Amino acid sequence: MSLTKYKNLGDPELIALCLKGDSQAWETLILRYRRLIYSIPVRFSFSPADCSDVFQAVCLRMIEHLGELKDDTKVSSWLITTTTRQCIHVRAQKHKETSTDDEFDEPADPGHSVEEIRIQSQEQQSVREAVVQLPERCRQLVEMLYFDAKSPSYEVIAQTMQMPVASVGPTRARCLEKLRTVLRRKGMR
Amino acid sequence: MRHINTEELVDYMDGRVSDQGKLAVENHLSECKDCTELREEIRMLVLRLQEDTTYEPPAELLQWGVSLFQPLLQPSTGGKLRKLIAALVFDTFDQPLQAGVRRVGAPPRQLLFRAGDVDVDVKIESIEANDRITLVGQVLSTTAKFFDNTPVKLESHGIVRYRTMTNLVGEFSFDEVPKDTYHLSVDLPEGQITLFCVHRGNS
Repeated sequence: MSLTKYKNLGDPELIALCLKGDSQAWETLILRYRRLIYSIPVRFSFSPADCSDVFQAVCLRMIEHLGELKDDTKVSSWLITTTTRQCIHVRAQKHKETSTDDEFDEPADPGHSVEEIRIQSQEQQSVREAVVQLPERCRQLVEMLYFDAKSPSYEVIAQTMQMPVASVGPTRARCLEKLRTVLRRKGMR
Repeated sequence: MRHINTEELVDYMDGRVSDQGKLAVENHLSECKDCTELREEIRMLVLRLQEDTTYEPPAELLQWGVSLFQPLLQPSTGGKLRKLIAALVFDTFDQPLQAGVRRVGAPPRQLLFRAGDVDVDVKIESIEANDRITLVGQVLSTTAKFFDNTPVKLESHGIVRYRTMTNLVGEFSFDEVPKDTYHLSVDLPEGQITLFCVHRGNS
């Protein structure tokens, strides 16, 4: 199966393939959710080393729980819960390691901000999923405009997408409209 | 009054409109609640799209996640080493602090990992004076057998940093290694056991 075909598969299909030993399916899952997993420790303002630890721990948990995830579980929600818990655990451990008897032990979890992180992570994931649902050309344009580290100019985008420079602006507006429509269908605005 | 469309709004937000066009958009926004809401919606959407790249994990970390599959789920085939990730079953840092006990600096940390019928007991002592840790442990079996003369490795960032062998009763030691995130692996005849994140970062 080609990489594109894997990309078009839903989570249940990918998990089923993983459980049969298909490493390509696992790679597709990790690539699909890499930013979701990594974004949560970043939102917790962890150091890059702690973000890496959390990412590794969550990948490990995911692989251990694949069998449970195949049954109608929304992978993104499971990942948000698992990653958030891991972040709380890491933060509590760090707090324990640095605290002394002379200090009053404050609870490591401030509650409200954790809930905010969960909501922000879910919303960000909805945007990612909406981009994937865009028609191919729209997705390509959105990725070039917003995800490309080189920030290509309208001229470069026009050349790559074989369209007049003057069409980039109107096409982008149409694509953002489509994105809004997808997000509204998901109950987000 | 004609409402502002998405294209005009995006151009305005990007600074791609003339001074006259900018003034016209601003005048309209000051009077139109619907267009102000649309601008806010588009602004949030563009912000989310733009910030997404900041959540990209480092390439080597991503590669670690991808390569995790191979050792864990693929069944062992002839000649290939079977790999197992040991589960952490006990950690003194998860235990409540003892009331009334005073201490200077961090106490030694004791961890117990389990993979199948093999236990790996690890004690980590932090040496604050030179920012290093000493890691001692023992590989134990639920049966009477001892894992003597067994290779033990300490890895960080995908590279084996230190190697040692267990003694007659399965004990091993890594003395005064720099603080880092380490994975410890034990090469048993039955396969390799990995203790994931036996020590984290600079703690």
